[in-house]
Formats: sequence, C-alpha cells, structure tokens
Amino acid sequence: MTIQTQTLAGQQLRDMFDAAASWLEKSSSDIDALNVFPVPDGDTGTNMMLTMRSTMEEAFRAPDHSATGVAAAMARGALMGARGNSGVILSQIWRGLARGLEGKDDFNAEDLAEALKQASEVAYNGVSNPVEGTMLTVIRDAAAAARKKVDEGVTDIIEVLETTVEAAADSVAQTPNLLRVLKDAGVVDAGGQGVYTILDGALRYLRGETELMRLRKPQIIVSELPHAAAAPPVSQADEVPFGYCTEFLLKGEKLDPEAMKKRLLRKGESLIVVGDDSAVRIHIHTLTPGAILQYAAKLGTMHQVSVRNMDEQHQDFLEMQKERQPTTDTAVIAIASGEGLIDVFGSLGAAATVPGGQTMNPSTKDILQVVEATPSANVIILPNNKNIINTAKQVQELTEKQVCVVPTRTIPQGVVALLAFDYEADFKANAEIMEKALSSVVTIEITQAVRAAKINGTKIKRKQPIGLMDGELIAVGDTHLAVIKQLLGRLAMEKYEVVTIYHGADADTEEVETINRSIAEQYPNVQVELIKGGQPHYSYIISVE
Amino acid sequence: MTVKIVTDTLSDITGDLTDEIGVNVVPLYVRFGERIYRDRVDITSEEFYRRLVTEAVLPSTTQPTPNDFYQVYEQLAESTDEILVITVSSKLSGTFQSAAQAISMMEGRTTKIEVVDSGCVAMTLGLPVIATASQAANGTGLAELAEYARGACRRTHLVAYFDTLKYLAKGGRIGKAQGLLGSMLSVKPILTLREGEMAPLTRVRSKSAGMDYLLNAVARKPELLAVEHCTTPEDADGLAARLRQAYPDVPIYRSVISPVIGTYSGPGAVAVSILEAE
Repeated sequence: MTIQTQTLAGQQLRDMFDAAASWLEKSSSDIDALNVFPVPDGDTGTNMMLTMRSTMEEAFRAPDHSATGVAAAMARGALMGARGNSGVILSQIWRGLARGLEGKDDFNAEDLAEALKQASEVAYNGVSNPVEGTMLTVIRDAAAAARKKVDEGVTDIIEVLETTVEAAADSVAQTPNLLRVLKDAGVVDAGGQGVYTILDGALRYLRGETELMRLRKPQIIVSELPHAAAAPPVSQADEVPFGYCTEFLLKGEKLDPEAMKKRLLRKGESLIVVGDDSAVRIHIHTLTPGAILQYAAKLGTMHQVSVRNMDEQHQDFLEMQKERQPTTDTAVIAIASGEGLIDVFGSLGAAATVPGGQTMNPSTKDILQVVEATPSANVIILPNNKNIINTAKQVQELTEKQVCVVPTRTIPQGVVALLAFDYEADFKANAEIMEKALSSVVTIEITQAVRAAKINGTKIKRKQPIGLMDGELIAVGDTHLAVIKQLLGRLAMEKYEVVTIYHGADADTEEVETINRSIAEQYPNVQVELIKGGQPHYSYIISVE
Repeated sequence: MTVKIVTDTLSDITGDLTDEIGVNVVPLYVRFGERIYRDRVDITSEEFYRRLVTEAVLPSTTQPTPNDFYQVYEQLAESTDEILVITVSSKLSGTFQSAAQAISMMEGRTTKIEVVDSGCVAMTLGLPVIATASQAANGTGLAELAEYARGACRRTHLVAYFDTLKYLAKGGRIGKAQGLLGSMLSVKPILTLREGEMAPLTRVRSKSAGMDYLLNAVARKPELLAVEHCTTPEDADGLAARLRQAYPDVPIYRSVISPVIGTYSGPGAVAVSILEAE
C-alpha cells in the first residue's frame, strides 16, 4: 500500500526542512565545487548550508507550532542568518513560502503549490536583475510543476512533491543551456543544485527514507550537454578587478527596502535588498564598499558586516578548480580550426585549443602563449597538421614547462591521441601512450584541387574533388561521394568499427546526409558518426578506426 | 578447526562458486519502488537488468541488517570457533557496520569473529575471498588469516568497461569520472575503483577496443583473474577465453556483476579483476 499524505502540520513542515538542511549539509562541499566565477558567491554550498542552519534554529525556537508559525520563523531565521547571494535568495524563498502558508494551522497539496508559487515570486522580486539559469529558474520550474500536478487533481502531498523534485532536477540540468558561463565550465548552477537538494531532502524525509539519508549523499545533477570548448586564454592586460562582495544586515525602524534598492542600484553589481521595515539584508558587489556602508549607517545599525575581496576569492577559486581536476597534472593543447572541431577537442578534455590548420599555420609564439596560460606544468601539444609539428616543437625551448609534442598529422590522429589519454599515467607515459594510438586510425581528407595537375598518371582538373589518405593524394573523382567511396574501397573495412565524418564549413547538408547513408549502407558493420566540424578548406575529414 | 569465511553478495560469489570454495554469502537488498528483493536470492540478475532499463525509477540498495549476519554467525558457531568476515568497501555500503554490530549480538558464545573492510567491490572483493578461503583450508589461524585477507585486498585492481556513464551519473556516484561526460563523440569510458569511487582511466570508441584495453590491463603477474558481465555474457566469455590463452596457468573466474553495482554501471558493462601475485 502506498503511503498517502493529505495534510501536513507545522511540526512536519519543520522536520521535513530540518532533514533537508542536513541533506544539504552533506552536499555543501560538492556544491561549492560547482561554482563558476565570476558568478557571485565563491562558496554557494556553504552559504546555503549556513543559511539553512539559521533558518531551522529559528524554526525550532518558534513558540507557535502551526504551519504559519513555523514558516514565519523560518523566514525570519533565514533573513537574519543569510550568507552570500544564494543565501539571500534562499531567504526570499522562505519568505514567500511563509506568505503562502499564512493563517494555516496545517496545509494540503493545494496550499503547498500556492506557497511554492509565492516563494518563486518573492525570490524574483528580491533580485534587482534576475538571471535565468540560476536558482530562481529552478524554484520557478519546481513551483510550476507542483501547480500542474495539483491542477490534475492530485491531493497526495508526497506525489506532488515527487513531481516538484523531478522538475527541479530537470531544471538544474537545463541551467547550462540558459547561462553561458555554466556551459563553458561544464557544470550546472550551484544555487539551483542547492534548491533541488533541499526539496529532495524534504521529499525523502516524508517518504521515510531517513536511514538512507544517513548513509547516502545527495545526487549532484549532471548535465549531459556537450561542454563548450575551453575559451581561448585572455591576455593579461584585460583583467578586470571584481571588487568587493559586501553584505550586511541592517536593523532599524521604518526601513524602506524598495527605496534602498533604488538608491544602491547604480553602486555595483548583483544587488539584492530584501527584508521588512525592521530588518533588511543587503548584498552587493561594488568597487566602493565604504560608500555603501556610510549610506547604510545613517539608516540604522549594521550587523554581520562582511566585505570580501573578490579577486582573492577568484584566486582561491582557481586553486579549488585545480583540486577538482582528475589526478593528473598534464594538460593537452590541440591545434584546430572550425567551431565544431574546437568543440570536439574541448569536449574530450583538451585544456585549450590554438586556432590553426591547413594554410593557416599558427606561429611558435601563438602556441607558446597558450602553453604559458595553461595552469599545468606539463603540456602535451597535438599539432594535428604535418606543417605545424616543427613549429610546435620550437615551444619546448622557449618555456620552463615540460612540453611534449605528439606528432599528430591530422585531426583524426589528434582525436585518437586525446582519447587515449590515461588519467592515471604520468606525463612521459601519456605522451608514449598517445603516440602509440596514432596507428589505430586512418585519415581521409576531401578537398578541391586548387589548380590542374597530374598525379600518378591521373589528370586532375581545377576545382575537382580530390581525396587524401593519411596525407597522400591518391583519389580524384567527380563528386565528394565518389572520392570517399574510392578511398574506403582501398581499406579492409571489415577490420574497422567506427567511421566519423567531420563535415566542413562549406559542406552541403543534403550531400552530408547522402554520404552518411551511403557509407552506412555499404558497410553495415561499422558505426557511422556525423559531426559538424565546421573546418575551412576540407569539405570532409573522415576518421576510420 | 578451520576458520569459516563470510562475505556479502557484492563479492559476486554466488551459485556454484559459493559451494565450491565453501564460503557463506550474506545478501544485500535491492529495492524497486515498494518491492524489496534479496540480491540474487529473490531477484535474478537477468530480471534486475531488464527492469533497470525499462523502469523509470532507479532501484535503491540497502545493506544486510546486523540480524542477517547474526543468523549466519550463530549457524557457523555450531561447527567452528573462529569466523572471518570480509565485506564490501565501507565507503560504498554500510555492510561492514552491520557485520561488526552483529558480533555484539552473540551472547553466551565464545566464538571469535573478525570483520575486515576490504575497500573493494565485485570480483575485486571476490578474488581476495577466494584466496583467503584456500588459505583457511590449510589451517591458518584467525589473526594471521585476517592479515592475509587485508594484504590480498590491497593486491587487487578493477578495470571496467562501461557502455554508458548515464547510470553512474544518475546514481550520483560519478565522482572524478565526471570529466568523461559531455563528449561530442560517442565514447565508452574505462574506469577503475579508487578509494571507493569510480575514477577514469581512459576512453575508447568501441566495445572491442574496450575489450582489448581490458586484456592489456592485466600487465603484472596475476595470481587470480576474474571476468564479469552485466547483460552481455558473450563479451565476458570472449575476453575470458583470450585471457586464458595469455595466462594459461592462472585460474580465471567468471561471474556476473551484482545488480547492486549494476545500478551504477548500467547494462553492457564488463569488468576484469586482477589479484596480483605477492
């Protein structure tokens, strides 16, 4: 028999979020690790956890055990103890929840849906410039899911909350789609993860999974989106100072949060002003914290004043990022051009890419700059072109870092080398493993003849499709497909398993499909993969493994 | 009197193998929704993996209760005065705690019981249990045997091919293998176990490249080997046959990865466990 819960009393409200606070606590360091600077907050998990502690302490102190009493106490505790951007927004969520539960001794599914809706609205209102892809989006999506379930006629609170938690998880997984910095870093939003964890903890408590909660840790949502390629390193000159993260609680009489918000709007970034006429919490990133504090001092008394240098936080963040990396201190740098190819290398773990390739060879200096900007002491370079190998080797002489060039002559060779990277092997061993892997791939490159010529007795007309196999020009034909077929026909295809087609910037969509189908039909034993490489010059680069 | 050996089902010692080496295996629990099953007692591996793929809710798993261990200890106490328990890594499950707690339930018995936290799982736990059982048969005493078991656990490695990281990610156990997610090409991860967490070794493009990697992963001199599968016995059989050719003198065990672990590995995974010679 399924357990049905139609209503919850104030004490259950308190206990479920108390369990949720402990659940969040187990995950706080994992959530910290999701941070992406310069998204505000260096330590979202810790901030949310501390805010939840204060929230629940107040809830346990509350003399009124009704739902409205507990929720109001939670909102008060959260406001008093909010830490960081995420903590302040969380306090708004509790404030909205309290508003939604006002006047209720206990609450049902309908009330819960309404309270979550209020929570989402109040959270949005507290932020001067709401950003999507953050905890705001997650609470809104969660609230909408609860509403929908209730509208379908469901009255079981657990069932409604299950849908809510699922929607929160999906929303968290979507955050990288909404916020570019998350996508670049390949993580989900930390604050959103925190909101999901709290809701999940509350649900698990109601389901009676306390034993499991003791042993397990909350799940960190993973986005299955491809990571964006590592951004090209910025030069030292355009480093912008982040300023000071300034936070405090202002107590006084007849305080006017709206007026304060207007007044502070132009003083910095990430402004949040929340509270009521007796207590207001302010959070802002500013270059002039002194001016903010002076203004506030005139309005009331300041408590829990915190001014932190975000440039220092940034340094700490970089250190922490390093610790998160797998146990290897070897970075791989690939040379490639074409958005798709750059993304492929990024998604497979290349630390950076240097733009370049056929007819656009990068200089030694170009490569050196990227090597120096990489945080690792050991760097493996994949030139991915025979004309770049020597240029890359020059770098070894010019840097203090240990640099090894794995002589990849084509993009497919670069990809198999990067794939073979062994996370537990050291620098030297990895360079060997990667070089050894090169023989496992055959590269086919399709381009057009730039002029008429005669090769191996075959006449080639200008602009005619021609095909190279491992760098050697050996096929010519009237269409790209004909050339590809000729080249594949020379291989003992029964020995190969995966054919990856990277189509170039100028490739025709219909032709790409025809080629894909034709290869799949002719060689049913191979798996054909199609990737938009976007490379110039080569209409197709094909890897046969 | 020889020391009796107890382990749990996460050792992947089940069926005929249990009787062959003479150990007692305590099952963990698997929960699908509201039904609870004893690992490979009430639910077969086949049934489990079929439901893993088709059902929306991921199963959850629970350690055996102290009472489960107590029942086994009581029964063994009739015929021996020394018991050695080797459990799955305490980082992965509370089984070690249950086994240890059960000792205090043995009132009025003088049976000596020692519980070893293997730090291992699957056949990486199974192989040390098998090696320890044959030591016990030689008449080794409890203290020395426990030391031997700890040493054997340190000598084992796991190298696993996963068809997908989806289940590891869903189960919240992705750990350091997270870097392998999000690839634009379809790649298959090769993983190992480090301090109770799956850690990445490398990636391959195809299953057969994965099987080649597992074959070559057996580098140093092995004393025992094991090959396991989740849903693809033919892959594991093929790999075992190649290993037999390469290491004709080494015993090679074939088993099935526990559904408890299968929750994280997903179907299609194949694992090699290696117990290195001393």
